[in-house]
Amino acid sequence: MSEVAIEGPTCVDDDEVRADRRRRLFEAMAAHELDALILGRPAEVAFASGARQLWTAGSRPFGPAAVAVLDTGRVHLLSVSDFDVPPEVGHDDLYGLAWNPANLVASLAAIPGLRDARRVGTTSSSPGFPRLVASIAPNAEIVDASPAVSAVRTPKTPAEVSRIRAAMALAAQGLDAMAEALRPGVTERALLAAHAERIASLGAPLLPTEGVACATATSGAVRLRRVATDRPIEAGQLVALDAGAFFRGYEGGVGRTLVAGRDAPAGGRELAERCVAALHATVEACRAGATGADVVAAWSSSGEPLPPVPLAHGTGLGVEPPVIGDGIGAGSVLVAGTVLAVTGWVVEEGVGGHLERDLVLVTDGSPEVLTAHIRRGAPDD
Amino acid sequence: MTTVNGRAVPDRADLVRMRAERHAKLQEQLDAQGLAGMVLLGTSAVAFATGAGGPGCDNGRASLLRTVALVVRGAEFPHLFTPYPEAAPSELPEANVHGPCCPDLDDGADALGHAVREHVGGGGRLACDEVPHALHRALDGASDLVPASGVLGAAKLCKTPDELACIRSAQRINELAMLDVQPLVRPGVRQTDLSARFLRRVFELGADTNGIDPIWQVMPDRKVDGPWTVHGGLAFPTPSSARVLEEGDVVWVDTGIHVDGYASDFGRTWLVGEDPRPTPRQQAQFERWRAVVDAALAVTKPGATALDLTRAAIDANGGAKPWIEHFYLAHGVGTDSAEMPMIGTDLGEAFDERQVLAPGMVLVLEPVIWDDGAAGYRSEDIYAVTDDGWMMLSDHPYAPFVAA
Repeated sequence: MSEVAIEGPTCVDDDEVRADRRRRLFEAMAAHELDALILGRPAEVAFASGARQLWTAGSRPFGPAAVAVLDTGRVHLLSVSDFDVPPEVGHDDLYGLAWNPANLVASLAAIPGLRDARRVGTTSSSPGFPRLVASIAPNAEIVDASPAVSAVRTPKTPAEVSRIRAAMALAAQGLDAMAEALRPGVTERALLAAHAERIASLGAPLLPTEGVACATATSGAVRLRRVATDRPIEAGQLVALDAGAFFRGYEGGVGRTLVAGRDAPAGGRELAERCVAALHATVEACRAGATGADVVAAWSSSGEPLPPVPLAHGTGLGVEPPVIGDGIGAGSVLVAGTVLAVTGWVVEEGVGGHLERDLVLVTDGSPEVLTAHIRRGAPDD
Repeated sequence: MTTVNGRAVPDRADLVRMRAERHAKLQEQLDAQGLAGMVLLGTSAVAFATGAGGPGCDNGRASLLRTVALVVRGAEFPHLFTPYPEAAPSELPEANVHGPCCPDLDDGADALGHAVREHVGGGGRLACDEVPHALHRALDGASDLVPASGVLGAAKLCKTPDELACIRSAQRINELAMLDVQPLVRPGVRQTDLSARFLRRVFELGADTNGIDPIWQVMPDRKVDGPWTVHGGLAFPTPSSARVLEEGDVVWVDTGIHVDGYASDFGRTWLVGEDPRPTPRQQAQFERWRAVVDAALAVTKPGATALDLTRAAIDANGGAKPWIEHFYLAHGVGTDSAEMPMIGTDLGEAFDERQVLAPGMVLVLEPVIWDDGAAGYRSEDIYAVTDDGWMMLSDHPYAPFVAA
């Protein structure tokens, strides 16, 4: 029934991409001696199954949304229908939505090979979860599989990077929509509306977030707000814009800062230069073998305070580890193939704030800035 | 006057009062259940417990860069850990608003574990909705962890008048946006074009976040022509794509947005055409849907059971269950788009008989009339149980089945 198309942001991904992800996942299970893996996060479920499922915003409590069994090589999926479920996940591998825990247990207990599992990996848990596992795999020990799953997801294949590039191209158009709508008197909310409309009209109806449209303060303390207001933007305000989109589950995004109206505030150019210089130093540190501490040190060498958002975080099927920033991720070690979203933010009282966000591919050599071609605003004095 | 526990539903919610009343309900439950505190990681649970706002995020972002609530028994305010301090409620003391803590990662979990020990102390029972492995290690067996659903469920089940006002506001924005979307529903338009118009309008009109991939599902005439399902029933909802709508398509619409933390739930059946007119058979489907809703509402009042509603709905549908196999006749809505009470689920009749309606409960009635060979009709409307019956929180035309 389900038709696997080969183009478009919302399509189930190609056979090769799915097969490659699945192979990597099962290899990791074997290496970590995980007889079964119970996954709950939509991105992990998409990685393992290749299915496209209904998107909802926010974080939900952890539950068994997919089960991979090492012995059988099968991935079992919580899905009422086979809509956008790829053919390698057969009808026998689907189990339905249950409100009654007894029905959920019955579905899971019927999964071949699960009952005999000795080590069951999960990426999260809840107070009731061990009891659920005990009822479907009575001899199993629950193992933290987050490091194994994260290690599989982190290094991107060229095909995965191409999807991130495609998502980035959609995001760039979302940024254009905000730039076109930006003028004195428009509200931040109206910019987000333009962003959402443009990206959906390109066939990609989901957003990683609503994006950022933050008109920064021209006097007093300058803060980066990621929740839009209804206040009209004034001429000469520096406006931090951040756009994002998904292509087949992979996220792309870019952040830039533009000025409302024709005249940038005095000092706007210097602020932009400071931000770009600090960001450039940070990006240069994003190399295989570098630690989170190295990345933070690179930013701090500019003399700018750390941004109030993660300086860098992984990007793939949505936001992924590592998360690197103030007090977090110092010990993370970067591996080649990681795609990082690196955010720079500098402020100057009386001028405003300047944000830049780039996507960076970590390699064994020089990092590649995937968003390098997306023009920076660089306001003129 | 229509009242809920003796109080009228205001036009606009008093958000500070609403949050104080929610906090009091949580404290009452912590006390009654002998819990020292509660740690919440789910976006909607944190929103309920703290009033925290933030952008609507994809699950991956929302899970790794979370908002987190720590509710301490006996404390006047909850603690909020958030990447979005600009969206913290104004009445929360500065000392209770903390930076983000990322409890799914070891560094962040250590920070949260430290906060739990500082504010709750060790040894007591702690309610949690999710415990990532890193947080489990950080808590290091210091507390006895129990599910948070017992506390949250009890506090969320019956809404205050302010909460009902929030749901009505969210629904109004969703409905106003749909007045601008429905005229687009013509042959040649793509599902994602409808999403584009919808998303633009909800943000312009004041939605805080979009909650779900807007659904514009084209229903097949016959069930067998739709996707295969595990139970042999209908596949619904399915995600949207650039699928092009065609003349005569029957489209089941389902969307939800959030305002001040509360979700809307909009459901209608639309027909694709330049001047769409239902066939007599389609009109009859609508009339039957209306009869099922009316029958359920006729028994809706405090003291009635969920089983009374399902029986009335089944009777009005000639003995057949008028809802989707894996869902329900009705569900609640609040900071979650679907929450208790859930009526007509696989929890069974005995469970439904124990669910007794009370003032402040919210029912999203969503019966489905399936007429194999001519698709079917599905719409949703939101009702609140009042002191002596019910009131409607949604208000949207049924075009083209009823002339606007």
